[in-house]
Amino acid sequence: MIEFNDIAKSFTSGAIKTEVLKGVSFKVDKGEFVSIMAPSGTGKTTLLNVLGCLMRATSGSYLFEGHDIETLNDDQLSEIRNKKIGFVFQTFNLLEKTSTLDNVLLPLVYSDIYPADASKKATGLLEAVGLKERIHYKPNELSGGQQQRVAIARALINDPAVILADEPTGNLDSASAKEIMEIFKSLHSQGRTIIVVTHDSSIARQAGRAIYLKDGRVDKEEVLK
Amino acid sequence: MKIFRIASVSLGAVAKHKVRTLLIVLAIVVGIATLTVIVALTQGANKTILQRINNFGPDAIMIHSGGGQMRGPSTVSEANLTKKDIADIESIDGVKLVSPFQVSLDMPIKYGNKFTTSWVFGVEQSWQEAWRRGASKGEFISDSDNEQLSKVCVIGQTAAKDLFGDANPIGEDIMIENVSFKIVGILKKAGQSPIGTDFDNLILIPFTTASRRLMNQPLYISMARTVVYRPAQVKNVAGQIRETLRENHHLAATEEDDFKILSPEEITKMIKSTSQTLTLFLWLVGIISPLVGGIVLMNIMLMAVSERKKEIGLRRAVGAKKKHIVFQFLAESLMLTFTGGFFGVIIGFAVALIFSFFGKPISISWQPFAVAFIFSSLIGLFFGIYPAKKAASLDPASALSQK
Repeated sequence: MIEFNDIAKSFTSGAIKTEVLKGVSFKVDKGEFVSIMAPSGTGKTTLLNVLGCLMRATSGSYLFEGHDIETLNDDQLSEIRNKKIGFVFQTFNLLEKTSTLDNVLLPLVYSDIYPADASKKATGLLEAVGLKERIHYKPNELSGGQQQRVAIARALINDPAVILADEPTGNLDSASAKEIMEIFKSLHSQGRTIIVVTHDSSIARQAGRAIYLKDGRVDKEEVLK
Repeated sequence: MKIFRIASVSLGAVAKHKVRTLLIVLAIVVGIATLTVIVALTQGANKTILQRINNFGPDAIMIHSGGGQMRGPSTVSEANLTKKDIADIESIDGVKLVSPFQVSLDMPIKYGNKFTTSWVFGVEQSWQEAWRRGASKGEFISDSDNEQLSKVCVIGQTAAKDLFGDANPIGEDIMIENVSFKIVGILKKAGQSPIGTDFDNLILIPFTTASRRLMNQPLYISMARTVVYRPAQVKNVAGQIRETLRENHHLAATEEDDFKILSPEEITKMIKSTSQTLTLFLWLVGIISPLVGGIVLMNIMLMAVSERKKEIGLRRAVGAKKKHIVFQFLAESLMLTFTGGFFGVIIGFAVALIFSFFGKPISISWQPFAVAFIFSSLIGLFFGIYPAKKAASLDPASALSQK
């Protein structure tokens, strides 16, 4: 479903060119739970941005469900992000002063079709992550773990092909981190494709397969379960 | 509809950022209110011009003795129109009637121990028809009054009020420069004269009496009012009157007119020329002040974009296209400018009413609403597009990584 072939990404600032990804190749199949393990400052975020179609690679090819991402225009990339990708960020990225329910509904604002039962669906997702009683709360009234659960519900609202999580437990205490990972595992067991990018090996090892990144390249892959 | 969903996002942002909303709306209110006041004042002024022309008579031509002087009747000493002039004008095609009269400005009037000053007109009976203004009470100056050099007068309502208060002046005697006149009638109310003076502060006496007893100029006439059959004839007849008078006065081609012809057209020109500079200045202020509002809008919206980078990044990440972001921010700008425009018109009207309370002519019509609507849309679009495009052009990945 996802195929990275020799993806490179460099940034130029004035005369200085920094190569962050130096030819990364890997595949992720439908229904897999993959972790991408990389120490901080080794291009983890850049890799995630390219994976999430938020950024284009400098070279290499990226196939997403058969689409050659490098050939798509900005609007088409927006549609892929809207319909196919559910993001979960380290800092949750919820809209402040906006209710939990409206935060979950956010991706639907930009969908061509707004289902009649959208609110019901969002409420159902919030119920599934244990926040049914808090649908009218604002993010600042929720704990970190609860905010991240809202973010997961938001990632699921459009039934994406893949959930892309960037250090999803990085800002959480260990108990909340455990809860979040349990949610991912349960989603995986329902057949969802999940990619978690992390520098934490204990998190990485909870996936079905781990891809280790080092110096902008894939160092090794390890099947865990 | 997606467009409504995004518009409701904009509305939400307007409601959430109260201080920002208030500042922008305030800036636009000031701009649009200024514009509204100016539109109301300008329209009021135009209405006054029309009213004055109507007072003057759209079918009337005034002929003044003595040339050169731009405003008002000439002084009596310059009177040089003759009875032959009047007779010749009467024979011009299209002329309905010519009513000659003598004018004496600011004459001292006395009744008992009360004094006032008033314009004194020496008139014939035809004055009534020429000015469409007769006596509202009592009688008018008659032909026999003129034949007999009677010392009778018809008094205007301001002069009557000054001398008699609410008492009935008919039958009383007043002194006009030491000559005693009996009041036989009260003149109908007229309001402002074509040159903007009080047209009710005047006294009419017989033409002959004025010429011989008051002004001592039996041969010459200071002014004449000509009425044509149709307003469209005014221009042509005025030209012919000029030719006739130049010929009668033996003026060489190089000499200037020694008389003045005033038509509704000239009145308009005269009033407009005196207020032109002020009008220009007002319009300048009226245009600049909404522009300043627009600059404030752009400034604050740019700050908003910079503050909300992370939000923009998130929206892009969950699927917003560039055009959606442009639309969202543009809609915000427009909502703010429309709100400002709405309250601006209302406040502008309130201020215009205060002006009218102090005697300034204003006009309240639909036009200021249209101007405000168009201006606030233009400001919203013109000054809102740059911040909106800037928001849309943010790189989603780096916008998301903002702290």
